[in-house]
Amino acid sequence: MINEIAEIRNAFDNISKYFWRHKEYVNRLNVFPVPDGDTGLNIALTIQGALANTPDNLPDNILPGEYLKLISDNMLINSRGCSGVILSLFFEGMTEVMASNDFSKENILKAIENGCLAAYHGTDNPREGTMLTLMSEFKKKFSEIMPAKENPVEIIIDCIPHLKDVLDKTPDMLPVLKQAGVVDSGGAGFLILLEGLEREFNSRKVPETLPLFAALKINSVVKKLLVKRSLRKKRSITGTLVQNLGAGNISNARLHNIVHNVQQYLKNRTHNHSNRYPAREALIKNTKEFESSWNPDISYRYCTELIVSSDNDIDSQALKEQIMNYGDSLIISGKGKTYKIHIHTNKPESVIKDISLFGNIIFRKVDDMKKQHRNFISYDSIEYEKEQSVFCIVSGEGFKKILESLGADYVYDYGKRKPSVKKLVDLLNSLKSKNIIAAPDDGDILMSLKYAASLCKANVFIVESKNAISLISMLMGKTDEINKTNFLFRDRINNIKHFMVSKAAKESSVDGVAIKKGDYFIISGGKIFLSGKELINVAAEAINKLLIDESIITVYKGLHVKGNRLAAGLKIKFPGLDVEEYYGGQTQYHYYITLE
Amino acid sequence: MIISADNLGIGIDQVPYQRFEYLKYPVLIGEKEYRESETYSASWLLERFVKEKITAKSSSLSRAEMTDLIEKNVNNYDLIIQVVMGSNMSAATFNIAEEVKEKFKDLIPVINIDSRQVVGGIGAVLLRLIDIIKTTDDDETIKKQAGELVTNTFSYYVTPDLNYLNRGGRIGKAKALLGSVLRVLPVIGLMGDDPEGEIVPLGQGRTYKQVNSLIINSIREKMNENKAEDITVAIISGDESNRDAIDSLKKEFESSIPCKKLVYGKLHLVEAIYMGPGGYGISVCMK
Repeated sequence: MINEIAEIRNAFDNISKYFWRHKEYVNRLNVFPVPDGDTGLNIALTIQGALANTPDNLPDNILPGEYLKLISDNMLINSRGCSGVILSLFFEGMTEVMASNDFSKENILKAIENGCLAAYHGTDNPREGTMLTLMSEFKKKFSEIMPAKENPVEIIIDCIPHLKDVLDKTPDMLPVLKQAGVVDSGGAGFLILLEGLEREFNSRKVPETLPLFAALKINSVVKKLLVKRSLRKKRSITGTLVQNLGAGNISNARLHNIVHNVQQYLKNRTHNHSNRYPAREALIKNTKEFESSWNPDISYRYCTELIVSSDNDIDSQALKEQIMNYGDSLIISGKGKTYKIHIHTNKPESVIKDISLFGNIIFRKVDDMKKQHRNFISYDSIEYEKEQSVFCIVSGEGFKKILESLGADYVYDYGKRKPSVKKLVDLLNSLKSKNIIAAPDDGDILMSLKYAASLCKANVFIVESKNAISLISMLMGKTDEINKTNFLFRDRINNIKHFMVSKAAKESSVDGVAIKKGDYFIISGGKIFLSGKELINVAAEAINKLLIDESIITVYKGLHVKGNRLAAGLKIKFPGLDVEEYYGGQTQYHYYITLE
Repeated sequence: MIISADNLGIGIDQVPYQRFEYLKYPVLIGEKEYRESETYSASWLLERFVKEKITAKSSSLSRAEMTDLIEKNVNNYDLIIQVVMGSNMSAATFNIAEEVKEKFKDLIPVINIDSRQVVGGIGAVLLRLIDIIKTTDDDETIKKQAGELVTNTFSYYVTPDLNYLNRGGRIGKAKALLGSVLRVLPVIGLMGDDPEGEIVPLGQGRTYKQVNSLIINSIREKMNENKAEDITVAIISGDESNRDAIDSLKKEFESSIPCKKLVYGKLHLVEAIYMGPGGYGISVCMK
């Protein structure tokens, strides 16, 4: 299988590189006229993370379906942002079907259907005009073209023109896209990936790869030919068929050898009477082995990995003898006082217990291979050190410090790159807390956080906060009684009146507000409601519109803001109010301004 | 006879009981000791905090003064009840009260009530206790009902500068609110149903309006939790220089919480040490 796995890997690498070259285009398709949309980056990092975490040193007998599933598991865990998560869900759904190693066009359609289902079900409030619409149209078009073509990759490629049309229509489906004059960025990203597939397919100089189901069929035919009495006849239809098979077109090395050897055998059998039966038996054995290598039945269910360490040298031979009868695929590596053990077994607990006789187990991981449970149904234990923690995810060093000082137990500053599901799982687990209240500063992180929550060991209560001010508002009410008040956390996120100030990177008209390139504009309640050339005037106008009886104006400066021009200007314009300025360090907006 | 001290959150003249005596906490500024008087009041100390950046601390009640007071009255009464500040807030004072009780055990029964409270909270327990002893003179009944009062009394304080409480070593779990990067108004509390009797953080806000709302919401939650239909007695007191904020709390409380008796109290010298400039609070009893 090594060749096929390497080819799949190579194709993914090339598609990933292709996407990286186009990510800036996707980034620019942001609905707000801010310069730092990150859909392209999120998708690129999602794919890159999946590939980087899919190991190269896999067992020789791993099948393409299993390999794709492995990539999809790693994609989900490394997904970032909404688009990254939706893409991962789609691929996860597809690979669930493809795990059967049936790559016929009919099964690929089923895979796409399952991918769509997974993506829609996994998305909160699925909306049309997004990546989901392209996935759904992809399914329809594939089904429509399927009767006319055999090769599923060709069918996929033939879907692309239609999907381009659909992408162009996304602004008609989502008004916010129309206002911003862009197509959906996630949809565009999805299309670029399909184009990458097309490019990869067209650039291949190698002969067409034999579909796996066909390889199995050929093997079966060859085996029958060898076993049946018909072989004794000088001529048979099957024999003729096998002799005429173009072995050179079979890229699977193992099957290629089988077919080639059988062809040689058939060709020479009349001349080698003495060696005929042993040779035939050997060939039959090869076909059986080939067949069994495709059998997804797993005798030993749990892939168990441990690292054991002792103060004294460990007797590796004794260690091996202690556990070798628990399963197969035993690998013991290391030397001296530390050894790493890998074994497939049905009794992971017994293995762990026996290995602990040799020293302290400093790492353990047990994956249920049968369930393919995202590699996470594991025994890697966490010893809880705290009953409860508040975990915030925020962009900006200043906000990190502010939130920590307000009582957050841990604040992760992600800067410009939103955290992947894997990163979030690691962070949640590292808190060693039984109950965690987790809150991000961006709605685009919520989906990743939800998946991370489902994979981590703690009980995670997610507060659906969408900006840094919500986090401040939430923490103002923090008490030690999280269990009683976690719903209060959620209720408190909108307690501080605020708006954001940013600078337009392009000309556009959003929410009925015309914005020129270089203008400052105000976002409040998720909508743009003001814009203008002069920063202080725009901010003051926004304050005047929102101010009722508040007494403090607080300015939180972004990463790229220099000086205190705005705060100083507002002090002059609002002499009766307190004006305070803090450094937030956020990348997305120039300023957050609150009225309290 | 009831004995307490000058940390009730109300003026002594606001205690509606003839047979009431009180002791004054010693307040130390540098080497010099002060006691509450017309000259040395809470506003005097708070002003010096702001203008002169002085530090002050208190010490426990004097054993001798407590002994003298009881000795003086031992033949006049058949029961003495001492309402003492929370034993977790001042273990020394409570221990002194217990020692004195032991000393007089053959002469007169003394009931020491650990109020689990400070400013205002002790006053609330005291005012309700006065109501109780009007209905019974049975020692055991008084003890039992006083215990119920204590677990149903809750105090909420706004302390603009928690360092005053911190310096006095009484900050407890509210330490979590120290060191905010933002300028905030911490809200802390003493919950009578908390056997640890420690100061706890209740939240924080940026404006007095926010923290007053937070306090009112916290009281409402507590009432729901305790299935209390109304507040039997409430005491509001604080730094008079922050009158607007105190009045605003009083107004919001009156308009949103059913209360049988609201007392607008006053701070004493010893209370000002911990409340700090601008500090105020409300104590409520739900029994």
